[in-house]
Amino acid sequence: MRVRNLFVALSLLTVFAMLLGACAGAAPAAPAAPAAEEPAAGGDAAPAAFDWGMCKGTELKLLLNQHPYQQALVGELPVFEELTGMKVTYDVVPEQNYFDKVTIDLQAGESSTYDAFMTGAYMIWQYAPAGWMEPLEPYINDPAKTNPDYDFEDILPDLRNSEMWNLQPGSANLGQGSQYALPWGWEANAYMYRKDLMDAAGLKPPTTLDELVDVSKKLKEANPGMAGIDVRGSLNWATIHPGFMTMYSSYGCVDYDEKMHPQMNSACAVEVTKKWIDMVKSAGPEAWTTYTWYQAGSDFGAGKGASLFDADILGYFQNQEGTAAPEVLGNVAWAPGPLGPDGQLKTNIWIWSLAMNAGSKNKDCTWLFLQWATGKDFLTTGATKYSMVNPVRQSIWENPDFQAKMAEQTDYLETFNTISSNDMKIQFTPQPLFFETTTEWAQALQDIYAGADAQERLDKLVESLTVQLKDAGIYQE
Amino acid sequence: MENKSGSHRLAAVLSDAVLIAYFIFALFPIVWMLLISLKPGEELFTTRFVFHPTLDNYQAILFGDPRAAAGVVAKQEFPRYFLNSLILATGSVVVSLLFGVPAAYALARYKFKGKEDLAFTFLSFRFAPELVVIIPLAVLYRQLGLYDTYWGMIWVLQLVTLPLLIWVLRSYFEDISPDIEQAAMIDGYPWWRIFWNILLPLVRPGLAAAALLAFIFAWNSFIFPLVLGASNTTTVTVAALGYLSSAQSFFNRMAAAAVISSIPQIVLALSIQRYLIRGLSFGAVKG
Repeated sequence: MRVRNLFVALSLLTVFAMLLGACAGAAPAAPAAPAAEEPAAGGDAAPAAFDWGMCKGTELKLLLNQHPYQQALVGELPVFEELTGMKVTYDVVPEQNYFDKVTIDLQAGESSTYDAFMTGAYMIWQYAPAGWMEPLEPYINDPAKTNPDYDFEDILPDLRNSEMWNLQPGSANLGQGSQYALPWGWEANAYMYRKDLMDAAGLKPPTTLDELVDVSKKLKEANPGMAGIDVRGSLNWATIHPGFMTMYSSYGCVDYDEKMHPQMNSACAVEVTKKWIDMVKSAGPEAWTTYTWYQAGSDFGAGKGASLFDADILGYFQNQEGTAAPEVLGNVAWAPGPLGPDGQLKTNIWIWSLAMNAGSKNKDCTWLFLQWATGKDFLTTGATKYSMVNPVRQSIWENPDFQAKMAEQTDYLETFNTISSNDMKIQFTPQPLFFETTTEWAQALQDIYAGADAQERLDKLVESLTVQLKDAGIYQE
Repeated sequence: MENKSGSHRLAAVLSDAVLIAYFIFALFPIVWMLLISLKPGEELFTTRFVFHPTLDNYQAILFGDPRAAAGVVAKQEFPRYFLNSLILATGSVVVSLLFGVPAAYALARYKFKGKEDLAFTFLSFRFAPELVVIIPLAVLYRQLGLYDTYWGMIWVLQLVTLPLLIWVLRSYFEDISPDIEQAAMIDGYPWWRIFWNILLPLVRPGLAAAALLAFIFAWNSFIFPLVLGASNTTTVTVAALGYLSSAQSFFNRMAAAAVISSIPQIVLALSIQRYLIRGLSFGAVKG
């Protein structure tokens, strides 16, 4: 009897303690609720003029990826707070786990924590169909909500359009429908090389895929102990999107046809894949299958790779004092990716962007923040005073201070001009299963690297993707 | 005679050699981490053991980066993350002790309906993958206002620490003969004094070992602090990843952070060591 009482008492105590914990935790959240009501009233009541002060006193919360762009934003946030009288807090998460955090938070819907977040353009394909991203064109087009100097058209059209989508799978659907995110900073995939090593070997930056393979091999031969070329190879979708997708697209291959039938086993695709894997095997880094952004970039910066086919800004970050090995510093040069057989250059891009959480309770106020953070003033400061390369606004590319800063990087601006005057966009076909299917694509490259026959393995890949796309109702008969 | 001691000596030397070899093998990753933490960025990727050692990395993570580019926020919050880890790991162990010790005792001593089911439920917290429950937990935590609070983190870390404590201590309590308690009862001790003055000292080695393990597991926990915590409760496990940024991969600072992060566990393990060893002889005396 006594024993049972003790047990009951202990159980009650446990339950009581848990309730106590819940209440203690819940308390701080309560004061936030009343603040949420103010903005809507302020925003609707003034139909005429735009006013930066319309959300005075409101608190916003941002979810940010640890990144040079984020550092620029955090450094300048007091400017925004002074301008609007708002209070902005933020959580910064390291990049390796950033999107896990975003995905989980957005799933909480109305009870999610953050009003706005950093995102990549590819993520729109997963988040927008789920209803997690607020379409932004109603805000952009409303003069009562958007300041007259915003100049949305100044943002490079290729970037703007890459973040417009009508939620339908298929490449023709990109650039249609709603604006789900705002370009903030971006990367064009380009060929970067050590010009000292290139000159010493009497070579020139490659202009075709065959030359790319050849130059990489020769660079390796001339520099024992170094990789001829650094590219990513880890089991992740991010292995496909930089150099490989750029070469693949320039070569004239596509990922899906207009009926969403996978095309990774086309004659064109098999040829590019074979040559690419040959290049990686004979001239790539030894642990290629573990290579991500970090390894590829660090190797190049540490003088362990003679060239790099990845984001142009990765080379920029590596070519800095304190990062670059002494022999690398100042010796990095840029060139556009090699051309396809028809002389085409189709560069794939990555766009860091800002988006609004559809579950935000302060949407008009969040828009105030988004338009400031993607506006001319902040982005110009970001590009000249911080490391916000590449800028998304045409006016900043024309800014003399920015040009002077980038002129120190050999052929950087020329490379950008060539890339942007050719076909520069997201070369992938938008579809909600992007991350799963593209990771499987990377798996196929790894298998071919390990010795599997390219045609057979890519046939198998297409077979598997077809089943998945059919199950998801994306594949059209 | 002579011969025998000779072969003994040879065996001793051999076993020492094997032990030393294993010692080097086992400690090498830690030594390597220490070396990396002392390397400047320019020499980070050299594979030679010769480099110019520097304390810059420690200085950078503790006090800020003296060489940060103009305009870049160089403020370092590592000491705060370290404190967070300390608060959360200690808090979780304390809470687990408060509830786990009585629970372990009850599970060891009393017969009640569903006892084994209950014990198994506790165990299942330990072996169920965290990822299975993380999304519902994340949604619940936001609705309850527990997201990014110390209370919430300590509560969720009970999933890590409580089962461990209960299961280790349960077997310790089972080993104690009920006769001891009954003798004390006859002497007129109230139940709580029996528990406090007689039983707890007997299970102290188990308590020390389980608490230490629970502390280490709570300290190393990654997925809960990542998903359910944010800037208020960032722990060293989450923060350490931040040294790999898009612009630069500070493997050296990451190593420095790891070296500092391992200090509490080492200190704790050393200070608890005598209880652990006493725990080994405990059974022998009893037998």
